[in-house]
Amino acid sequence: MTISTSDKPFLTRVKESENDHFMQQSVAKAQDAQWDKRTAAREELGNWEQWRDLGEQIRQHVIKYLPDYLEQFSDNVTKKGGHVFFAQTDEEAANYIKEIAKKKNAHKIVKSKSMVTTEIDLDKVLLSLPDTSLMETDLAEFILQEDDWDEPTHIVFPTLHKNRNQIQKVFKKLGYSGTNDPEEMAKFARKYLREYFMQADLGITGCNFAIADSGLINLVTNEGNADLTMAIPETQIVVMGMERIVPSLKEAEVLDNMLCRSAVGQKLTSYCSFSGKQVVGESDGPSDFYVVILDNGRSNALGTDFEPVLQCIRCGACLNVCPIYRHIGGHGYGSIYPGPIGAVLSPVLDGYEKFGDLPFASSLCAACTETCPVKIPLHNLLIKHREVMMDKLKMDHSFNNVLMKGAGVATSSPILFKMALEGDHLGSAPLSKSKKTTVDNLFNYGHIEKAPSLGAGWTNVRDLARPPKHSENFRSWYKKHKKEQQEGVSHD
Amino acid sequence: MTNQNKETFLDRIATKSGRARHQLSKHPFIPVNDLPETTLSGKSQDELFEIAKKNSEAVHVTFERTDTTSLASLLNSFLSKKDIQNLILPTTDKWSTYGLSEWEKERSDSAEFWLPESSRKENLEKANSADGAIGFADYLLAESGTITVATTPGQGRGFHFLPTHYLSIIPKSCILSRSRQAMHKYEDAISSGKLVTSNINFITGPSNSGDIEMVLVVGVHGPLDMTYVVVEDL
Amino acid sequence: MKVAIFSTCVVDLLFPNVGQAMVEVLERFGCETALPTDQICCGQPTYNSGYRKESNKVFYNEIDALLSANADYIVGPAGSCVAMLREYPHILKDDPEYSQKAQELADKSYEFSQFLYNVLGVIDAGAQLDATATYHRSCHMTRLLGEKTAPFKLLEQVKDLKMVPLPHLENCCGFGGTFSVKEPEISKQMVDEKVDSVISTGAKILISADASCLMNIGGRFSRRNESIKIMHIAEVLNHNVDTSRIRYKDQPTTV
Repeated sequence: MTISTSDKPFLTRVKESENDHFMQQSVAKAQDAQWDKRTAAREELGNWEQWRDLGEQIRQHVIKYLPDYLEQFSDNVTKKGGHVFFAQTDEEAANYIKEIAKKKNAHKIVKSKSMVTTEIDLDKVLLSLPDTSLMETDLAEFILQEDDWDEPTHIVFPTLHKNRNQIQKVFKKLGYSGTNDPEEMAKFARKYLREYFMQADLGITGCNFAIADSGLINLVTNEGNADLTMAIPETQIVVMGMERIVPSLKEAEVLDNMLCRSAVGQKLTSYCSFSGKQVVGESDGPSDFYVVILDNGRSNALGTDFEPVLQCIRCGACLNVCPIYRHIGGHGYGSIYPGPIGAVLSPVLDGYEKFGDLPFASSLCAACTETCPVKIPLHNLLIKHREVMMDKLKMDHSFNNVLMKGAGVATSSPILFKMALEGDHLGSAPLSKSKKTTVDNLFNYGHIEKAPSLGAGWTNVRDLARPPKHSENFRSWYKKHKKEQQEGVSHD
Repeated sequence: MTNQNKETFLDRIATKSGRARHQLSKHPFIPVNDLPETTLSGKSQDELFEIAKKNSEAVHVTFERTDTTSLASLLNSFLSKKDIQNLILPTTDKWSTYGLSEWEKERSDSAEFWLPESSRKENLEKANSADGAIGFADYLLAESGTITVATTPGQGRGFHFLPTHYLSIIPKSCILSRSRQAMHKYEDAISSGKLVTSNINFITGPSNSGDIEMVLVVGVHGPLDMTYVVVEDL
Repeated sequence: MKVAIFSTCVVDLLFPNVGQAMVEVLERFGCETALPTDQICCGQPTYNSGYRKESNKVFYNEIDALLSANADYIVGPAGSCVAMLREYPHILKDDPEYSQKAQELADKSYEFSQFLYNVLGVIDAGAQLDATATYHRSCHMTRLLGEKTAPFKLLEQVKDLKMVPLPHLENCCGFGGTFSVKEPEISKQMVDEKVDSVISTGAKILISADASCLMNIGGRFSRRNESIKIMHIAEVLNHNVDTSRIRYKDQPTTV
């Protein structure tokens, strides 16, 4: 499994992100800009909540009848002379593709952006073949490749963490002598990649949606590299997660509209293509067409509470609204699938041992759930993960298990709680500070700067209000208040 | 062998999900609402034209209107304005419909054609060397400013992506409200056998990217600019 | 109309001023209040941390306690805690004993400002506060409870109060319940951005309908030695009230 991007512990990654000010600023800027664009594009469409209902319905329906739709799709691809391979694991998929590359004697491989091929570490496998070179042709993926295979930080904007000077430096290694102007650098990449494209003999693409009733695949891009990948080489291999399927062109069209609006705030991206094996009479397009359908842990979600995660259409909107992603960035998650969707998906694909930290890295603010175009209850699924780890697997997770269980006991027992209410002011006396605070009306009974045990996480960052004396707490006030009311005493 | 591979895989996921295979015929997809059909419906062709114009221009498209009598001169001015030296044209029987038979004949020496009988390499090299392409679209989608084209032997995939400047001709009667209406047209044409194609492209303006610091760059792998020409009397 | 006060553990333990203000406002509008003494906590701290089994006991206790008052409504000073009460029917849908009670509880539970504006139909609570303030919108109140309007409408009418919009209103303050103690490294960055946003408004008072968020943001203000006054919306609506100014939705603008 290679969805993991880092061996470092979670907290180390968080610390590194905190020190990467450019990354943090870029993410914040991107989030803010996308917020406006996305909202405008959705408002312009109108009835967004009803569109979400439809999007959710389409995705839930295909997941429910997944084997049937995959069979239909596979049969249609085969009928048109294409080949379909079902891969249980990343290794099976990568090996199958490697064998095709060998059989086709491929020397120059072009790839268009695909998270699934990153997931199966395909580039490395193909580059191990003799006399074989490979080019990521999406501008961002190209930059990452040329920067010594740096890891992506966003599923839609993989190079969000890089600034123009860093990119200029990368391009200089390829003979670029221009300025750091994005347009000039993009023109250079166009020319550089076009020469390679024209010689390519094998094209590898991902797949936004596979169309079951026609055997076509739907790809959505802005640059046009995917379409060149599907036009020029004689052989095309499509790699798709097994859940990326729709019944017909009609549902693909619905989801494309929602995907583009959610991902980049466009009504449709520049290129939405529905494409398959070359038919008789056509001179370009793949004369050999392969589709690899990948499980690689996805089926772990089937039949469980986590099934809705398979509804995902990879728009990245949840990353773009996530306050955690805003601060720790893609690398903070240590998975090629970052953000809220990554925090739900990564443990499903690859287990809690590696990704058990991620479901806890959320304040459960539900911005992800609110924005998801196909209504995945993301924050609820994060709680579900916590439940599995705590209740079922009994993973302590370096958290004070005993204290939390104690909290469960305390908050379910009125007597214990009342004891706490009585003791808290007194109990906190040794901790409280007499130093004046700059904050008015929050620390009316003093404040605490250093709390023990669980409370330390709080006071490492912020001051804690000291509880009032028992006679001054809310319940005491209310009792007095009621008594006065009953006695007919008017209070001022 | 492939079959066994498929059966094993599908049986396994069916078991994992706890749901039997082959249920779909009893449970076809019935959409929960008809928004794809009703959104932007009931517009006249004139209204659709205005919506298409606005939305095309919003995605950096040069939007022109003309009729069959003036189409040729509009194409000529496009060629001179973009200073196009190597033009590529499709092989199609549409020229006469658009009143362009003469214009096409005049170009038979100077322009290259995407030829059904040419090899992959020949057609792609021609398109790659072309600094301009003039092609025909099937439909124009008003809502998004999108032209749609199905690949044909005379107008291949690379035709739309390799040249530097691109002009697309669309009859006004082929402006549709949204992508849903185009899907109906294509599904009908394919199922009736009228259209045989491996590829349908929905193209919305020139290629672009925001991959460098989220700065919008127009023109990456595909054409650097796009011109749509709507022919009003067709 | 009888209203059971859902006091919440945070107000019970730390902020009597918030509970007091809420009770006084509700009674001013004719509610007969009751405070069910066996209530403790909505159960979010344990439930959201994954301790599902331990949480059930918390839910049962809270349901029994709050329903015991036999009130027409249950009103609390925290959008997040009330949203949790509204979640009970989903969480306990298969619980033979409590699923129905959970629904009964959820149906009559409201956050304070939501109750005032939507149920009582109050537009102007008659309050006055001469200050510039900004409002922090809690995530759970906005997204889980779905209440995006009531507090803004009520604050708009407070005499002499100038409300300044808070930039990045949509972003979480970094509280997140146990998240704030479990992930202080991330929480700190989030609350710092929130503090910066509040400072950028120039407001002297930070208002919210969730005491927990205020405790987080205010706590960080204090640690950073930045000045601010913290007020729960109940305290604002209970400030210098002139009952002659009170106005309801179905009432003409001029009295």
